[in-house]
Amino acid sequence: MSRRKIRFKINGVEKTVEVEPNKTLLWLIREELKLKGTKKACERGDCGLCTVLLNGEPVKSCLVLAVEVDGSDILTVEGLAKNGELAPIQRAFIEHGATQCGFCTPAFLIVGHWLINRNPNPSREEVVEAINGLLCRCTGYKPIIDAILEAAKYMRRT
Amino acid sequence: MLPKFEYYSPTSLSEALDLLEKYGEDAKIIAGGTDLLVSMRDRILKPKCLIDIKKIPELRRIEYKEGVGLTIGAAVTFKDILEYPNLEKKYRVLWEAVKTIGDMILRNRATLVGNICNASPAADSAPALLILDARARIINKNDGVREVPLERFFIGVKKTILKPTEIVKEVFVPEPPANCYGKYVKVMRVQSEDLAVVGVAGLAYRDRGDLIIRLAYSSVAPTPIRVKEVEEVFKKKNMSLDEKIEEAVKISSEKVSPISDVRGSAEYRLNIVKVATRRLLKELVEAV
Amino acid sequence: MFVNHEGGHYLEALKYVGKSITRIDAVEKVLGIAEYASDIELPRMLYAKLLLSPYAHAKIISINYEKALRVPGVVSVAVGDDFPFRVGLYVNDRNILARKKVRWVGEPVAAVVAEDLEAAEEAVELIEVEYEPLPAVLDVREALKPGAPLVHEELGEYAHSPAFNPIAGTNIANRFTLKKGNIVEGFNKSEVVVENEFYMPQVSHVQMETHVCIGHYMADGNIKIWTSAQSPFTVRYILSHSIGVPLHRISVYVPYVGGGFGGKAGINFEPLVVLLSKKAGYRPVKLELTREEHFLAAPLRQGFYAKIKTGVTKDGKIMAEKIFYAFDAGAYADYGVNVARAAGYSCTGPYYVPNIEAESLAVYTNHQWGTAFRGFGHFEFLWAIERQMEIVASKLGIDPVEFRLKNALLPGLTTATGEVLREDAGRVDQCIEAVAKELRWGEPTPTNDPKKVRAKGIAALWKAPAMPPNAASSAIIKFNEDGTVLLSVGVTEIGQGTVTSLAQIAAEELGVPIEKIRVVPFRHTDLTPYSWQTVASRNLFMEGRAVIRAARDAKEQILEIASQVLRAPKDDLIIKDEKVWVKGRPEWSLHLKDIVAGYVYPNGNTIGGPIIGRGYFVGTRLSYLDPETGQGYPALKWTFGAQGVEIELDLETGEVKVLKLVSAFDVGKAINPMLVIGQIIGGGIQSLSLGMWEQYVYDDKGRMLNPNLTDYKIARAGDIPEEIIPIIIENPQSDGPYGARGVAELSMLSVPAAIANAIFHATGVNINDLPLTYENIWKALNKKR
Repeated sequence: MSRRKIRFKINGVEKTVEVEPNKTLLWLIREELKLKGTKKACERGDCGLCTVLLNGEPVKSCLVLAVEVDGSDILTVEGLAKNGELAPIQRAFIEHGATQCGFCTPAFLIVGHWLINRNPNPSREEVVEAINGLLCRCTGYKPIIDAILEAAKYMRRT
Repeated sequence: MLPKFEYYSPTSLSEALDLLEKYGEDAKIIAGGTDLLVSMRDRILKPKCLIDIKKIPELRRIEYKEGVGLTIGAAVTFKDILEYPNLEKKYRVLWEAVKTIGDMILRNRATLVGNICNASPAADSAPALLILDARARIINKNDGVREVPLERFFIGVKKTILKPTEIVKEVFVPEPPANCYGKYVKVMRVQSEDLAVVGVAGLAYRDRGDLIIRLAYSSVAPTPIRVKEVEEVFKKKNMSLDEKIEEAVKISSEKVSPISDVRGSAEYRLNIVKVATRRLLKELVEAV
Repeated sequence: MFVNHEGGHYLEALKYVGKSITRIDAVEKVLGIAEYASDIELPRMLYAKLLLSPYAHAKIISINYEKALRVPGVVSVAVGDDFPFRVGLYVNDRNILARKKVRWVGEPVAAVVAEDLEAAEEAVELIEVEYEPLPAVLDVREALKPGAPLVHEELGEYAHSPAFNPIAGTNIANRFTLKKGNIVEGFNKSEVVVENEFYMPQVSHVQMETHVCIGHYMADGNIKIWTSAQSPFTVRYILSHSIGVPLHRISVYVPYVGGGFGGKAGINFEPLVVLLSKKAGYRPVKLELTREEHFLAAPLRQGFYAKIKTGVTKDGKIMAEKIFYAFDAGAYADYGVNVARAAGYSCTGPYYVPNIEAESLAVYTNHQWGTAFRGFGHFEFLWAIERQMEIVASKLGIDPVEFRLKNALLPGLTTATGEVLREDAGRVDQCIEAVAKELRWGEPTPTNDPKKVRAKGIAALWKAPAMPPNAASSAIIKFNEDGTVLLSVGVTEIGQGTVTSLAQIAAEELGVPIEKIRVVPFRHTDLTPYSWQTVASRNLFMEGRAVIRAARDAKEQILEIASQVLRAPKDDLIIKDEKVWVKGRPEWSLHLKDIVAGYVYPNGNTIGGPIIGRGYFVGTRLSYLDPETGQGYPALKWTFGAQGVEIELDLETGEVKVLKLVSAFDVGKAINPMLVIGQIIGGGIQSLSLGMWEQYVYDDKGRMLNPNLTDYKIARAGDIPEEIIPIIIENPQSDGPYGARGVAELSMLSVPAAIANAIFHATGVNINDLPLTYENIWKALNKKR
């Protein structure tokens, strides 16, 4: 199995890595780059906790091969806060108690962040549709939905 | 961890076909990867090489030509389909079906052609494609392109007519009948998202005043199936609409062969086929 | 006027307690930098992979791992006989790896340790095991029949806690019995007698973080463990007991836990990784279960069968109840024996029943072993009791809310164990009434669609912590030289957020702003203080009391020093806003930071030293239960509640939509209302999910058919009710911290019963088995026709 060199940008930083074809993007993020915010919880695309933005779109990184991200732009939860300042979606999660054990939080933040940046006025149904692919066992989802709607409101005001 | 394999990402269709010719059964095409990688992780599939078709421009093409039809390339994602202008209106039943597949994030990667090549009996896009008379355009290195109507494409549970050296280049969906009304009903175990317990796609339109109905199902037979016998019922002369609907429900329930699995029993699926068909037909006949 | 935890009054409003302060670990978690066990990497760490049994019950004839050892990168392979130890929380029955035979499909039979995960995975596939299948017992009632295959032939030889009674020669891991009053007389006085059976299958916690742990058996004989676990002291204790290493040589470290729900409450894979570490040359070994392995090899919730016979007078007073509960505890007893006990002593639900005969069994089967799960037997038996209450009320022609209120267990009445409910125990009647009111109970719910029907259902609930009388919590408050505070507690952070409430209590008590208090973010048995376990909805109460005592201890030490410096008696001093001052004389004050590391006089004389406040808490006068009658005082405190739903049911398909979910709990005092509401909503949805969709589906050989999240369905965002209404009721409990009780499990207990009760009202059809899948509902509706 021949290793491939891939070049990509992650959270604004250029990286060049050599990787085997059978490694997933999730493995690349957690094991190679040691960014532990993105989680591994099913590796089948069911739970969505491995979700990151790939070229601006949410994808389940357990179902993307690392070799496929050559030339791509990746955003993980570690890239949301800028210069120590929390992103609106992160602040909203804190205010609304949308994080309990915190294991699912990075994935919901990534999708919420993506949603409010492309849809300034999402309906509750649109929020639910965006996050239906992500599992949470602690919060019952309601605080998360409220937080995303609140963050959207903040985006509209600024 | 996934099993070991060689990875190629050709930038032209001929390059991809050369690779297929070389590797044959030892190769698998990867587009969205959302079915393939799961099967590989489970060790159900252990291909020696993966051929990534996402860098082949002509396979990423989705195009609708007025009066002709819709062409969906092999690497076109469900997201591309959902966002294609006017597709929601023009090909409503297909659009609705695609919207129920997986979840929004999965639809950013998963492809329609991948969905039909995986050929699960539960493939949600298939019933809609069947009643729209869709065709698969298959290509291999030596023989060029051949067109196969989708009802001949599926031959068994997760089995298609594709030979190991062939790929589906695109799916072609002809111009739908004028002023038709289509709907896809997906019955699930939950409210949110799931594989279909039963899926039924329906299309209705008037052909010089005559009511024409088309129905197809997923999850109730070894392959997705179109029940043409139902379509005959609505052409009959001496029956009321309600009688036709009941007759259609009866025929459908006889033509499907649901099994009992972890998602539902055969008995329940059969009940759902009847209930969902009846409700769908009532909605269809009222709409046109 | 405000009531404090001692029932006394104070004039000033509370500054922190009672406020919805954002949780103190929220920033870490939204930044994605919170540490979980899986994130930990150690030098020379090895990776373990398990080989699981394909049989529910089989003798192990031989295991050949020659080929596995030859895979490059493999360091060691272990099988059961390499580790001749047993572990058990209450009954010492569990092997580290299967020995002599396998007892469920998924039992770990061998473990490979390798330099990387890929090598370990490859090697596992090369291990050859020869089995001789044995008849398996796959149903809890079958397991009780005479002549049933025995899961543990050697049951009589296992050491066990004296509180539990395994019965040798049977599959009974524990038999709990309870007798109150006179059951014969009770049924004689009853004018209507109703008997029903109820059932629920095994279900999984589905924590988002699977089981993961690292074990390092050091060459000097000390042992280190890093684990995603709820109870580090239990891990340490049971391991010590099992392999004979004393407690001071075992260290257990627990970072943030990605969900526990009881599944990580005990001891799971830690002994295995520790022993693998020793075998692999004293290098650290990490085991992280995949989701499938988590479904197949990690412990789950016991299955449940109940038979309840209730005798009532015609005007609706319960006179007698004969109760039989049987828990399918699976292959190993673990918490199961205590689940059966707890269900036994709470068996009636929150109602007054004067005459009771109850038997509650934990039963071995060839299913996966059961452990603790939020609710601990109460989710199970309340399904049965709350369905039974509905059926009895309907037979009497009495409104079910009225029937429950008529029999409500109120202060002054006795529980099943003979405990007189204290005056400040909490009010189940208020909870029921609040839910009924919010649901607009009694108002009709029409729909336009003839194929659909809407209805409402209610169920009540109660629970006390199921813990031994000596369960303890402790807390340490350390002042730093700048006057900031480190609060160290034993409760682990599994998502429930108790540590935030504890910080609020500390801030309130110490007069230090909450921003200057940090709760130590990990647990380490060498460094953070003892807590029995993070379970049972006990930690806010017990850790809270411990924190208050630790704060008082610290203040005592501070006043001791301040008194000398300020030349004033201690009772003339107050501590407030980070200062100590003489009452009425704010100009005569000292800043805390000048005291807490020792006070230095101008000439250099120093008095005092680093202030460390400590406190502990144990329940007052809790007792063992009589081995025959179950009478005694097991309960630290009872939390009461009620849950109700409004549903829409499709009569042709069985599809149920829960339109509205209302929950009310008498929490005594909401230290942090936002966190309480978080528990109410989260637990309510988990309860709904478990009741409607979740089950282990087995084939006839005991193999689980849905070990993945595609086919083991849990609630998603699109599945939650449109309206979710949490109601907090506060009748303070005088010995709780600021009057607080606990709510974490309570929110999980009764949603399935409420839904089934609503279905019953809509259709007259009784569904007594879970889950309430659309198909099961349709089948039940159809059977009636």
